[in-house]
Amino acid sequence: MEDTNNTTQLTISEDLILVNQEISSKEDIIRKLGGLLFEHGFVKDTYIQAVLDREIVYPTGLSARVTGVAVPHTDTEHVNNSAVAVATLKDPIIFNGMGAPKTEVNVYVVMMLAIHDKTQVINILRKVILIIEKDEVLQKIWDAKDASTIKQVMEEHIQSVSIK
Amino acid sequence: MKKVKIIVVCGSGVAMAMHAAYKLREHLESNKIYNTFIEGTGNNNLAACIDAYDIVVSNAEVTVKTDKPIFSAIPLITGVGEDELIEKIVEKVKEIGSEE
Repeated sequence: MEDTNNTTQLTISEDLILVNQEISSKEDIIRKLGGLLFEHGFVKDTYIQAVLDREIVYPTGLSARVTGVAVPHTDTEHVNNSAVAVATLKDPIIFNGMGAPKTEVNVYVVMMLAIHDKTQVINILRKVILIIEKDEVLQKIWDAKDASTIKQVMEEHIQSVSIK
Repeated sequence: MKKVKIIVVCGSGVAMAMHAAYKLREHLESNKIYNTFIEGTGNNNLAACIDAYDIVVSNAEVTVKTDKPIFSAIPLITGVGEDELIEKIVEKVKEIGSEE
């Protein structure tokens, strides 16, 4: 199986997945995942700062049943090609809550979204967002020991789930 | 029955509002509610369009001053408290839909 799956126009790649990271702040993980997206040409050099700025105004921490998840992202103008970068964390970092900026969420799983054309990728993007509420899928990603497992779990989920 | 217009709001309208709007439509249909019109938008566009809608469902803090009912969209994304949210929105849609 080839490493990069972009047939659906939202790339999920081992190159964009980090496992069991030791990270001290949300800014660090945003820079790290944003750096991978930039290195591989998915985003422009304005993307990381735009995500950092947006996170202050519209934070993206979510308390799912399994664990805390954050989905940092920004406007489409900063993106060349759609992709999702994923990190699991050794110790939790604090993100503020989506819709409730004064609340704090202990985040163990970060799914950073780079969206270039939302209408083009909406079906697969929705399936990626659905991971947050699919307990068994999120648990597998959180428990995964390596990037290839996370990629495989995400791809299996995307193939198996159907949405209208 | 009157058509009830729902606007689903997120920070930039890139991803989350659209996902929440799709889910809300599915939930309402499975509750046999078909008299709704659901759209997604970014928070910075809300002030300009809120008058056209009956209900706001948002995963951003709503800073626009309004008397319209506002619900959190977060349960549609995390699944936590989703049934309770749908119950409340269904009730509100029925209430507004039956107004003259």
